[in-house]
Amino acid sequence: MTEFVSSFLTVILIILAVMVLLCLVRCVMGPRVTDRIVCVNMIGTLVVFMIAILAIKLEEGYLADICVIYAMISFLAVVVLCKVYLGVYLDRKNREFAALENDAEDLENVESIGNAEAVNATMNKETKEGSENVNA
Amino acid sequence: MKNQNETNSFRGWYTGEHDLILSNLSTQKVTEDHVKPEPSDKDIFDESEKALRGVYDTTSNRRLKSYNLLYQISAVLFCIGLAFALVYTVSYLPSVGDKDTPANSSVVSERYIEKGLEETGATNIVSGMILTYRAFDTFGETNVLFISTICVMILLMLDERILHSRSGKEEEYESKMEFINDPILQTVAKVLCPIIFLFGIYVVLNGQLSPGGGFSGGAILGAGMILYVNAFGIKKTQRFFNESIYKVAKITALTLYGIIGSYFYIMGANGLNNHIPLGTPGSILSGGIILPIDIAVGIEVACTMYAFYALFKRGGL
Amino acid sequence: MSTLEIVCDVIGILLIILGLIIYLFQIIGLFKYKYILNRMHAAGMGDTLGLFLGLLGIILLCGLTFTSLKLGLVVLFLWFSSPTSSHLISKLEVCTNEEVGEHAEIQIDKEEDMQ
Repeated sequence: MTEFVSSFLTVILIILAVMVLLCLVRCVMGPRVTDRIVCVNMIGTLVVFMIAILAIKLEEGYLADICVIYAMISFLAVVVLCKVYLGVYLDRKNREFAALENDAEDLENVESIGNAEAVNATMNKETKEGSENVNA
Repeated sequence: MKNQNETNSFRGWYTGEHDLILSNLSTQKVTEDHVKPEPSDKDIFDESEKALRGVYDTTSNRRLKSYNLLYQISAVLFCIGLAFALVYTVSYLPSVGDKDTPANSSVVSERYIEKGLEETGATNIVSGMILTYRAFDTFGETNVLFISTICVMILLMLDERILHSRSGKEEEYESKMEFINDPILQTVAKVLCPIIFLFGIYVVLNGQLSPGGGFSGGAILGAGMILYVNAFGIKKTQRFFNESIYKVAKITALTLYGIIGSYFYIMGANGLNNHIPLGTPGSILSGGIILPIDIAVGIEVACTMYAFYALFKRGGL
Repeated sequence: MSTLEIVCDVIGILLIILGLIIYLFQIIGLFKYKYILNRMHAAGMGDTLGLFLGLLGIILLCGLTFTSLKLGLVVLFLWFSSPTSSHLISKLEVCTNEEVGEHAEIQIDKEEDMQ
């Protein structure tokens, strides 16, 4: 590993670290929850790149294992966060809907909840149709 | 009748049928007047909305608004100050690998480094140290994992009857509210889960050769299980990992660690000139007792990770 | 050093710089667009292509050893998992945002599902 390649890799590491900071700025600024989940995923991918560069620079082969583990954990984090947030949101909406239903007021709110459940219902229908096609 | 009660009283307490103290007292029947009706959904929602509106109201409460502003400014200043203090301290640390530091110049660490390879047979000195020289400390840590899952089970685990009565409603809840039937996630999980499990087993078995070992490998296996249960649902996971398998695996792993390591606990330092075959360093069957202990610790940590997730999510395994 | 090694080093450095440029595009796209579904187009670009070119450059720099095979496994894993994350996040966004109709057109067959 020549001197030139080593210092070049150091410069790349510094640029990547500045990019991580910029991602963090967007993570704090983003108005919605999904902004923040996307930024956390992006920071994870940048860190995977940085660890791979370190593995070459220090000539230690076992740091490549950490890359795989980090990619795995960041994917799992996105999956679990999405599920948890969707569950919490639908729970609150159902409770609101049940509370308003008891008042027997106008059913305009059906439109807003129909969005989420309708999307889920179409996905379930497509799965059932897909499995029926496979079975037939 | 009384004899039967006395002989079966331990078993009755153990299975939860009757209490040793209260079983001899007669309780009053609960009449309808004493029972409060359960609050309906509307009441819960109204109460929570009222609380939210009253507590977090910033338009009419000027003190609350100024407190919010003060909190934000002081939080930023405190974080900047803390960052400066930490960086200033780090600049005083000696460079990596310096010979004068206490960690590098004491007699104990020198002996570990010099004689580590020939006495433990492990190429990775750290694994050799925590699983041979300090096996008892690691046993204590594994015990802590065991006790913590027991505590979480005591606090959060729901009764089996409630879980079974809920399982019909639970499937309907799951299919409507979550991503269970997402075909993309299921296909990708079918491809990725085997890779994750194989990689976890590889990390567990490589404890003595490269950085890895039981703790990190177990965490990876637990993460693979969590991905599986998120993609396919709890019913399919219970086909190969349910509560009875979990209990057997956890208790067997901890007992195995205790039995295998007991040679060192009893012999102490005299065990180092021992009769455990060390093998050639660098091959996978080396390191004496490190390999079986790694496997036991890996199983223990994987069960812990999955149990925490399942207990917090649905109250049962 | 033989010429083959020098050529491999130069190509590796070029590929790493190319990967870094794609990451730069990703960051610019993150700040330029105004809605999360637009930003996700930019985010997906860096996760897949940027990482592939960067890791390919690193593999060329260090030669074909066991380490480079593990880096290849990282690329394979991320090519499977990153689009799935985008899919899940976009599904979450559509389901929980009530004003999503202002930013994007959504087609749901409402008559069949409301029965």
